[in-house]
Amino acid sequence: MDVSQYLEIFIDETREHLQTLSDQLMVLEKEPENTDAINEIFRAAHSLKGMAGTMGYKRMQKLTHNMENVFQEIRSGNMTVQPELVDVLFRGLDALEAYLSNILESADEGEDDNEDIINILNDIVKKGTGGLEESSKPAPAEKKEEETPSTQSSESGGAKYSAITVSEYEKNTFQKAKEQNQNIFGITVYLQDTCILKAARAFLVFKALEDMGEVIKAVPNVQDIEDEKFDMDFSLVYFTKESLEKVKAAIENVSEVKEACIGPFDAKLDEPEEASQEPEKEKKKAAPKPKKPAKAAAQTEAASKNGAAANKQQKSTKPAVGRTVRVDIEKLDVLMNLVSELIIAKNGLVSNSTAEGESRESSINEQIEYLESVTTNLHESVMKVRMVPIESVFSRFPRMIRDLNKKLDKKMELHMSGEETELDRTVIDEIGDPLQHLLRNAADHGLESNEERVALGKPEIGNIWLDAYQDGNNVNIEVRDDGAGINIEKVRNKALERGTITPEQAAAMTDKEVIDLLFRPSFSTAETITDVSGRGVGLDVVKTKIEGLGGSIECKSVLGEGSSFIIRLPLTLAIIQALMVELGKEKYAIPLGSIQTIEDIPISDIKYVQTKEVINLRGNVIPLIRLDQLLDVETSGEEPESLTVVIVMKGDKQAGLVVDGLIGQQEIVIKSIGNYINCTKCIGGATILGDGEIALILEVNTLV
Amino acid sequence: MDSMNNVQNIDMVGEGKQYIVIRIGAEQYGIDIQYVDNIVRQQRITRVPKAQPYFKGVINLRGEIIPVMSLRLKFELEADEYTNATRIIIIKMESQSAIGIIVDEVREVVTLYEDSIEKSTSADSNDVKAQYLSGVGKHEGGLISLLNIANVIVDKDGI
Repeated sequence: MDVSQYLEIFIDETREHLQTLSDQLMVLEKEPENTDAINEIFRAAHSLKGMAGTMGYKRMQKLTHNMENVFQEIRSGNMTVQPELVDVLFRGLDALEAYLSNILESADEGEDDNEDIINILNDIVKKGTGGLEESSKPAPAEKKEEETPSTQSSESGGAKYSAITVSEYEKNTFQKAKEQNQNIFGITVYLQDTCILKAARAFLVFKALEDMGEVIKAVPNVQDIEDEKFDMDFSLVYFTKESLEKVKAAIENVSEVKEACIGPFDAKLDEPEEASQEPEKEKKKAAPKPKKPAKAAAQTEAASKNGAAANKQQKSTKPAVGRTVRVDIEKLDVLMNLVSELIIAKNGLVSNSTAEGESRESSINEQIEYLESVTTNLHESVMKVRMVPIESVFSRFPRMIRDLNKKLDKKMELHMSGEETELDRTVIDEIGDPLQHLLRNAADHGLESNEERVALGKPEIGNIWLDAYQDGNNVNIEVRDDGAGINIEKVRNKALERGTITPEQAAAMTDKEVIDLLFRPSFSTAETITDVSGRGVGLDVVKTKIEGLGGSIECKSVLGEGSSFIIRLPLTLAIIQALMVELGKEKYAIPLGSIQTIEDIPISDIKYVQTKEVINLRGNVIPLIRLDQLLDVETSGEEPESLTVVIVMKGDKQAGLVVDGLIGQQEIVIKSIGNYINCTKCIGGATILGDGEIALILEVNTLV
Repeated sequence: MDSMNNVQNIDMVGEGKQYIVIRIGAEQYGIDIQYVDNIVRQQRITRVPKAQPYFKGVINLRGEIIPVMSLRLKFELEADEYTNATRIIIIKMESQSAIGIIVDEVREVVTLYEDSIEKSTSADSNDVKAQYLSGVGKHEGGLISLLNIANVIVDKDGI
């Protein structure tokens, strides 16, 4: 059975179920008696098993099945939740995740049977239930229950053909057949339960029969049989001159036919009409009813099979799975609406272009305004579609901290907030690893061991906070711990030792600058390298990654009280609001998100600190950056009396960018300038202006 | 690179390859036509500060931003003089983004057969300029230096 068209849904849902399992297991670990959690777990495991089975992932199904057994025992109270059990179950979850990632890559679950986990699970079930082995197999029993209806019907229904009713017209043919001395047989063919190509088998049966006689009627009708819309059996009325045995043999010759019930079909033929009417009706009522549920199920199944078969050729060659975003249908409706409005706006312009006279100009302006509001809304809606709550990234961390708990033998707790904060899909995809890294850092280096904490008079259990919140056009994510904090002197000495900085530099550096050293490549202050972190490939990678996303990271730390890493990310990547400025004859865009204010500064206000130009703006000393010099722009050479300064900020740092003129605020689409051109760290991309001209976008993060 | 050469060799068996003949200064160069995406007229180029000197900037080609390099500057000739014949050839190599190169003139398309191409023999890998060429083709009495486009557009100094 080909089910590849459901692969994407399967992967999505499996992820959800795994997440539920992991979440609830954590709950269960803390509150072993929580029945809601165990019920939830059981449901998720059960659906997971069913889905894996449907998709043909046997190993996955087997493992889930064994896990489900355990849950079943817990649910029915035969077992209690023990830490070892939870560990094994988590191992099982990891194995399931491994299957899933294999499936993602190749649409195949892989070769690993994970027998060891299954064995341990079974041992636990045996031990936990005190040898009550019968009850350790509840799930298979349930499975059988599902199957019983169909087997029952095939056993009890023996000669279903007797239930076939005949119409007036058909009766005439019966009469004729009788006159021609033909035998009229009723036949019910049962296919084997394992039969996959039911329609094909049925076709072969029909073919065999048609060689010897004539099939008058089939239940379900021929079309349904061809479409596989039947259970494991179908019934026929058949005219033939051959003997009963011969017909039976011919049918049973077809492979995968379990049994053919055959007998003379004459029940209602010779009866008087009035009498035949009633039982017919009764039978009509009685016969189809019990069949219905099974039939409905079979139908949906068959329908899905058909669809799958149709898609087989195109899909089977495509193993990997595309990325999907689940979109609220309401958001799509809004989009659809906006698109239709866009079409209306276009039509308005078209009709306007043919109009004449004075009214033309004013209404064109009107149309353009309309168009503008539509495109703005459209942009907003499309952005919303791309936005994903950060929850999808955060959700894996509680589990990670739990594992670290055991691995590092430190008691700690993770507090999360702001999971509902939304970020662009591309950011979400990339932000997971850096966050994971920061959390590991906090757990390993940040927090002291439990004994130390007690000795320091801190609560024994360490705390790690992971908060996300929106801040203007940015989203901030904060990773905080109440551990030892960063020992500035230690970092300073380490840097000296490594030759990263000179003694003079070390002396002149502020604490903040010292902390920034941590973000340099290959700089780790951990005394020993642990399994978890401390290899020195860390914060610099985190920093690069976050800057690649157009964000920034900064670190604050108080010795003895803990440290926090704050990541600032832009809400969206593709379209931003920007201030357009002029430098000489060139135009540049400065992202609005990083602009604080715009000031007019008289030349006389410029002061010098260490031969660098600074201004004193309301008590803050802000360095000036002459963009024209930095970017080698040709200027007129004349120094005006006052400068237009755009004050930008990156974290706490501020800088004043000197520009020649302001053009205005604009919504710009960011485009990459490709990877051929090097040495343009100060340029973050380019955008195309309304007149087709290109303006470069300044990367404020690297300027400041 | 090897595999790419192999593919080219297979192509060359029996039938010739087509080259676009361009002029830079007094010399004729040939560019394998399979890498040419487009030829556009000289247009407004937006300067990109701090870029390599031979990158003139970027252009807007139907909504795509494409970096443009000057072959003259890359070959260390005197700077371009834009005339009516100046063209930008948009090169699109497999799995790489497009790049434009400025040439003085686009002359014609010629078909060269293997026997009329003399493979570049310079084994001196230090000779950067020689690496830009894959061979010399003879066509109607003239010589056409065939550009090894992959080497031309990749920035050797930058790495």
